[in-house]
Amino acid sequence: MTTLAFAILLVASLAAYALNRRAATGIRNGGARLHSVSNYHGLFALLLMLVPVLVVILAWLVLQGSVVNAVVMGGLPDGTLTGLEKGQVDLILAEIQSIAGGRVFGQPEPWKLAAAERLTELRQLAALGLVLVTALLCLAIMIIARKKVSAEFRARQGVERIVSGLMIFCSVVAIFTTVGIVASLAFETYKFLRLVPLTEFLFGLNWEPQIPIRADQIAAAGAFGWIPVFVGTIVITIVAIVIAVPIGLLSAIYLFEFAPKRIRAVAKPLLEILAGVPTVVYGFFAILVVAPAIRSIGASLGIPVAPNTALAAGGVMGIMLVPFISSFADDALSAVPRAMRDGALALGATRAETVLNVLFPAAIPGIVGGVLLAVSRAIGETMIVVMAAGLMANLTLNPLESVTTVTVQIVTLLIGDTSFDNPKTLAAFALGMMLFLVTLVINIFALRIVRKCREAYD
Amino acid sequence: MDDLRAVNRDVGTNATKISARGVQVHYGDTHAIKDVEVDIKERSVTSFIGPSGCGKSTFLRCINRMNDTIDICRVEGDIRIDGDDIYDRTIDPVQLRARVGMVFQKPNPFPKSIYDNVAYGPKIHGLARSRADMDEIVEQSLRRGAIWDEVKDRLHAPGTGLSGGQQQRLCIARAVATDPEVLLMDEPCSALDPIATSQVEELIDTLREKYTVVIVTHSMQQAARVSQKTAFFHLGSLVEYGDTDEIFANPKDSRTESYISGRIG
Amino acid sequence: MTDIPSGSVARTTMDMVRGSLSRRHRKQFILQALGITAISLAFLMLFILLASLISTGHKAFTQTEITLEVFIDPEEISAERLPRGNFDDVLAAALAADLPSVDPNDRAAMRVVGGILSNGAQFQLRDRVVADPSLIGQTIALSVPVSDPYDQLRKGLLDRETPESLRRLDDTQIAFYDRLIEIGAITSSLNTGLLTNADSRFPELAGLKGAIMGSFWALLTCFLISFPLGIGAAIYLEEFAPKNKLSDFIEVNINNLAAVPSVVFGLLALAVFIGWFGMPRSAPLVGGMTLALMTMPTIIIATRAALKAVPPSIREAALGVGASKQQVVFGHVVPLAMPGILTGTIIGLAQALGETAPLLLIGMNAFITSAPATPFDSATALPTQIFIWADSPERGFVSRTSAAILVLLSFLIMMNAIATYLRSKFERKW
Repeated sequence: MTTLAFAILLVASLAAYALNRRAATGIRNGGARLHSVSNYHGLFALLLMLVPVLVVILAWLVLQGSVVNAVVMGGLPDGTLTGLEKGQVDLILAEIQSIAGGRVFGQPEPWKLAAAERLTELRQLAALGLVLVTALLCLAIMIIARKKVSAEFRARQGVERIVSGLMIFCSVVAIFTTVGIVASLAFETYKFLRLVPLTEFLFGLNWEPQIPIRADQIAAAGAFGWIPVFVGTIVITIVAIVIAVPIGLLSAIYLFEFAPKRIRAVAKPLLEILAGVPTVVYGFFAILVVAPAIRSIGASLGIPVAPNTALAAGGVMGIMLVPFISSFADDALSAVPRAMRDGALALGATRAETVLNVLFPAAIPGIVGGVLLAVSRAIGETMIVVMAAGLMANLTLNPLESVTTVTVQIVTLLIGDTSFDNPKTLAAFALGMMLFLVTLVINIFALRIVRKCREAYD
Repeated sequence: MDDLRAVNRDVGTNATKISARGVQVHYGDTHAIKDVEVDIKERSVTSFIGPSGCGKSTFLRCINRMNDTIDICRVEGDIRIDGDDIYDRTIDPVQLRARVGMVFQKPNPFPKSIYDNVAYGPKIHGLARSRADMDEIVEQSLRRGAIWDEVKDRLHAPGTGLSGGQQQRLCIARAVATDPEVLLMDEPCSALDPIATSQVEELIDTLREKYTVVIVTHSMQQAARVSQKTAFFHLGSLVEYGDTDEIFANPKDSRTESYISGRIG
Repeated sequence: MTDIPSGSVARTTMDMVRGSLSRRHRKQFILQALGITAISLAFLMLFILLASLISTGHKAFTQTEITLEVFIDPEEISAERLPRGNFDDVLAAALAADLPSVDPNDRAAMRVVGGILSNGAQFQLRDRVVADPSLIGQTIALSVPVSDPYDQLRKGLLDRETPESLRRLDDTQIAFYDRLIEIGAITSSLNTGLLTNADSRFPELAGLKGAIMGSFWALLTCFLISFPLGIGAAIYLEEFAPKNKLSDFIEVNINNLAAVPSVVFGLLALAVFIGWFGMPRSAPLVGGMTLALMTMPTIIIATRAALKAVPPSIREAALGVGASKQQVVFGHVVPLAMPGILTGTIIGLAQALGETAPLLLIGMNAFITSAPATPFDSATALPTQIFIWADSPERGFVSRTSAAILVLLSFLIMMNAIATYLRSKFERKW
């Protein structure tokens, strides 16, 4: 039925296009001078129909499910839902839905069967309604659009206004996304802070989110101090940056200044491959190769090494960041004007001296910006640490021990079934909020530096 | 052409400093310099003139092997400074460039302080034994660059903060700080206003007391004002070379004559 | 340097320069060596990464099978009770016929014999019989996969030298295997199941079909949303937007969105799409919507670069003949920029294909044994499937994970190759 609605819309808008176009051509053939060419009259009708009806159909589809469900649940015999918790009500709804879908388990109560039947009816009704509404709207718009056709009508301006509106909408989606992120994080974090005080979250030294699921379960009360999680993130980030920055910068300098053309032609695409490998692959690499290697090296040196060291996760993350840093460094070095290079070479500086004393200092802002973006990537990187770092929050700075990170906690707290009223789930959103804020500050700062650097020599 | 005051100054010596024989330069597939032969006199100012794209800058960049830094550029032939073949495999371009300084079209001070700009060459070449030594070299160079009085109170301000003409004189000071024998100047005044230009021209005239100066210029008046010898380049060939007043007063080649009278250019 | 009149000064300067040369060239040599070391280190890591994936993954591209003469015993399987029946017993009996040392009445021994076969073998037989019930009572030849430990044994991943107590197969089981090898019942074939099966708890049956379909639906959704939105936004910002606070704000937003950690987009999707809008969990539709939000900044940035590369002279020429601004942009500028836009879009989609974290948060790591038929069905995606398999304890999943990664990487290489081809084919130098 939904497909039918879309088909009606498609056919009707094409018809409206043809109708208006032909009408406009008719006027022109009648000897009048059209303000806009007939094609625009057709396009105007097409857009006038396509945009609003599409919005109506999509809104209908989004809302249909919840409205139908609400009507069905509201129509249940009085008293069936009294005293039930939200989870149980959801369970009943799911059961009714699966009965309506033809999957009957055991012998359901008669009222459930009745509700399922009603659900099916309502769904059919809604689908029929959608088709009807679509058809009626299309017809109405077609008539309105047809009436607009006249020699003086500025169809081109009309079309361009609609297109402008659409493009502005597209641009604003970016703002909506940011607003969506901030709103969802803030809302859930607010709920979290009603259960856990802000000071405990920000300054607490314990992170043990394992809280009892049932009230009668005896378990740890749960602790939500983010400091150990944050410190773990920092430890892994430092390991990654300590590995990525020297390797990335030295490779960039070599490729920029010393490498023969042929080597450059091979090396740059290879670095791009390194940059294009998905992080889940790096994560698997960490557990398959790097962590065992570190463990056996540690064992042969007699150093105790934890199974999920920060070193393994951070090291692999460092490899991931090498192409990122080297491409930023390359951009920054290329942005330094050739005149600087020539000036140093003409004084008799060797190429090494030119790069180190003249080009590199001039490129520093761009490189710093790139490194900061790499830091923000390392903090927000998820899959490598989920697979290779630990789950327990240890407050330690030793990279040979197992630490956890903000992203690991977010993923482990949210994997599996989640409901939105549990401090465990909400804690993930609070961590997400902190992650978003920290990376946002770094990103804004870094992007500003990078942009300044780019403008400096333009 | 009646203000040829440069001619009145004595040329220090008649010895040949730079001699070029059969120089060819290829940029990829383009034959940019064709068989140039020239002898440049010691401690004099020689100017290269010619329409843009004639190869005068390319030839200038052969003299300190700056063309080596361009991948697609090939130089053939023989260029000697005091009899040493500078394209010999035993010659280190780094050492050569300490001996042959260069000043560019657009002033290009490093984004460092005025002091560090001038001290950079002596520092990398290890010419100063002590801090005082370095201060001495910097002051002397800035004096030779005729900019000492303007910057002596702000030696540690960034060199990029100076005006265009001051920047160019700073670059000249930077070039002379390594105590070179030859100074190459690639249209050193083309980015400057008339007042700054005349200051730099005056400076060039004094520089020939100590250095062999080769200057590329697009301005015939400038060539006439500052140089004793002039070489006219056209389409990659050296058309005519001789005393500046001779070339301007009484060119032997019709192409030179057309250029000077403004018919080609 | 012979006849220098002011000789003494010049000579000392040149001598000093010459004296410093070897030290300075050594410094340059060290810097160069460090650079070569750094870049070799990076490539060494890339090499180890690929080598380890290929060396563990290539084993998953073959599958050990066993060929049996199966007598479909009407006592165990009757046409009336289909699709039910004791297919596993029938198979075990067929296998026991090849192993003379086994007493068919010894139930414990028979269970061990049955364990040689994959759990999927009985379903394979069942499907065959259901399709053609006349087979009941006949003897048919059947090739079925062996279970994971035996597969590992053939591939040399299970070491016979380990003490029996630590081995996954005891001496009797290995003796069975050797006997089957001896009579030539065990063969190895190309593992097509890796691409045609959906996920399974048993490594020898697990395949990527569900994950590939899930990724396909998610990417399709992602493309349908992010491509028009991204292009629309880029055209507006590059060609029409007035320089004001709003367009500045949009710019800053887009640049920041491109750098927001992916897991945050997962949180957004979980809270907004699933929590507030009540969309289904684990659905590729929701995954695709999330990926679209992440891909959009990439497409916008690439599109703007492509538009910027179209020289102003084209715009001026078209404006000069009286075209409106929109006619110029949509009629001339956008078509010229299209190759660049498509290249950027493909690269953005390739990034989206490898994205894992946001899909985990919206539940696309569920265990689902059938491929999704629509974008509304629960599904996994390739990267989340890799995550699930990497997390599985069974040994057989290690090589499956590597193989899945190789499949994912080949999709990525394919997409990037298309993008590179487009760029080189249509790139225009103005």
